[in-house]
Amino acid sequence: MIPVEHYVLLSSLLFVIGSVGFLVRRNVLVTLMSIEVMLNAANLALVAFNRSRLRHAVEQAAPGPSHTGQVFAFFVIAAEAAEVAVGLAIVLSLYRLRRTVRSDEADLLKN
Amino acid sequence: MNIALALSPLLVVALGALLLMLAEAFSPRQGGLALGAATVLFVGAAVAGGVWMYGIERLPEAASLAPWLLLDRFGLFFDMLLCLGGGLAALLAGGYLVEHGIERGEFYVLILFATLGAMILASSGDAVTLFLGLETMSLGAYAMTAFRRASPRAAEGALKYFLLGSFAAAILIYGFALLYGATGHTDLAGIGATAATARTPLLVVGAVLVIVGVAFKVSAVPFHAWTPDAYEGAPTPATTFMAVAVKAGAFALLLRVLLIALGDASWTSWAAGWPPVVATLAVLTMTVANLIAGRQESVKRMLAYSSIAHAGYALVGVTALMRDPTQAGASVLFYLLSYTVSTAGAFGALILCGSHGREAVSYEDLSGLGRRHPAAALAFSLFLLSLAGIPPTAGFFGKWFVFKAAIDGGLYWLAILGFVNSVIGAYYYLRVMVYMYMREPAAGAPVALPMRSGYVTAALLVSALFVLALGLVPTRAIEVAVRAATLGAG
Amino acid sequence: MIATYAPLFMLLFFAAFLASVFYVAATFLGGQKKPNPGKQAPFECGSESSGGRHLKLSVKFYLTAILFVVFDIEAVFVYPWAIHFRALGWLGLAEMLGFLAVLVVALVYVWRKGALEWET
Repeated sequence: MIPVEHYVLLSSLLFVIGSVGFLVRRNVLVTLMSIEVMLNAANLALVAFNRSRLRHAVEQAAPGPSHTGQVFAFFVIAAEAAEVAVGLAIVLSLYRLRRTVRSDEADLLKN
Repeated sequence: MNIALALSPLLVVALGALLLMLAEAFSPRQGGLALGAATVLFVGAAVAGGVWMYGIERLPEAASLAPWLLLDRFGLFFDMLLCLGGGLAALLAGGYLVEHGIERGEFYVLILFATLGAMILASSGDAVTLFLGLETMSLGAYAMTAFRRASPRAAEGALKYFLLGSFAAAILIYGFALLYGATGHTDLAGIGATAATARTPLLVVGAVLVIVGVAFKVSAVPFHAWTPDAYEGAPTPATTFMAVAVKAGAFALLLRVLLIALGDASWTSWAAGWPPVVATLAVLTMTVANLIAGRQESVKRMLAYSSIAHAGYALVGVTALMRDPTQAGASVLFYLLSYTVSTAGAFGALILCGSHGREAVSYEDLSGLGRRHPAAALAFSLFLLSLAGIPPTAGFFGKWFVFKAAIDGGLYWLAILGFVNSVIGAYYYLRVMVYMYMREPAAGAPVALPMRSGYVTAALLVSALFVLALGLVPTRAIEVAVRAATLGAG
Repeated sequence: MIATYAPLFMLLFFAAFLASVFYVAATFLGGQKKPNPGKQAPFECGSESSGGRHLKLSVKFYLTAILFVVFDIEAVFVYPWAIHFRALGWLGLAEMLGFLAVLVVALVYVWRKGALEWET
């Protein structure tokens, strides 16, 4: 049995990779992917914590095992899909007008 | 049946949004969608008011939805506030979109769904519903920002808003995932109960991530980078909606998280809790935003920075939650109400000043307006005075209660800094009035003509009524805010 | 068990540090480029590549794909309900019908807007 710490370790690594990628990369599509990696890190943590809590509850014979973490992950996935749909539409409309997908070339709005 | 009654504000807006969406799909060329959207939202506000009068306490079944939805007076207050703000934005859109040739029915549907998301956010007591409400609200706002498809500025503003907004959402969700790991709860009350007893590193990191995520959403400095660009690029009614409803929804989230999940004495102490963090955010937000706002050449961008600065004043009230949650919470709620009507009015007046595809954006566009169009200039001045916090307007009492809450909480320095900042802030609001009343446009310069639109006029009248009413007799509203802020934990 | 996570956060910072080191080091270490025409040419299983670099795809593919993803993901909520169908009873059925009704409204909207028409 893999202990929960390992999953949490993996998820924190994913979260850090995603956030560094978001801050460093200038291609909007890669930035979008970085956000997805961060959200999936959260999903992994939620599901892993849920699993360890469940096992804990079974060992203690505690009543009413809860699946909130897994349900939460479902909702995150669904919201993620909607978010990507809107995000890609925005990227597409920027590309149509400016012929670029690089965020550092989007510089019309300045003080 | 009682559950349906308790849920009725949400149901009205949800069903209205679905019906309007179908109406838009089946008869896209028909006008009146703006009227439909505004009607749905004002009916939603009225229904929320009705449930408030009837007394949500008399509907015990409402508690069966806890912790997913907390149907309490706090939520009802925000239902009314958000429906009012969204309704004003819908009315403004009815004039603006037609005048600037981007009339498409989707905008009104987006306003309705985004308002619904904000209402769910304000009523949610669990990370799951909270996340769903936040995403529903944000996705609508992203799409509204990008609404002018022919404008590179709109696409750019929307892109920045979208990227930083989803980044913030990801941080928030990871924070809640860690809190879930530390406490075994996704509901705020459960998190609060465990957080009170044992403070583990996991809990602290989770709480920090949640606060950072919310700070992005309320656009507190230093997490404000997206705000001016998104506000400037968006069509002005969408800017109004973001400045009013999205901000109020984010503050509802902040108040719920701080009061319920981190409301324990150990977390609200100055030495070991969130107050110094929030106080730092408040000081930075007020000061930085005010200093930058004074240097803007575009009135729209100036109003964007002004809305950041106002988030800073509200954060002063949030800091005061550490001593007296009810009084400080009520001051924040009243502040949000006064800010909502003043900001919606100011953006509405800016919309009124442009017509036929020409928007009034710079200070020069407004010069001489007091002589050419006295009514428009008078309305604009009223809302600017309210934003500057000059009596007898809503903004004066908004600032008064917030600073009073800070002083009662012993945070004298914070109240003084807030006062100094509002004096600095008055400079750039009054500058607009100087241009309107004391300058004449340069000879031959193109001037923006005010538009004629019943929708915009109606929105301005409603906001002006609220601004004056709250400024002359604030007692009733502050009573309502105090009752709303009396949050039972859970 | 949770209190033992302090090393984890040390590792978190270590990972962030390592990632930044890699990003910086890549500019010093990975920058040795000696291009020649053979290296620059795209590899296409040995055969000569043909056609332009940018293959223009119609936006219709994008629209269809994204609509598929958005509606497909909603199926995730039907599965748990289907598994607990009997336990959830009539209330569960009513709630699922409400959920599906909202989806149908969205589908009708998409259809009326012409997003499902391939030939326009």
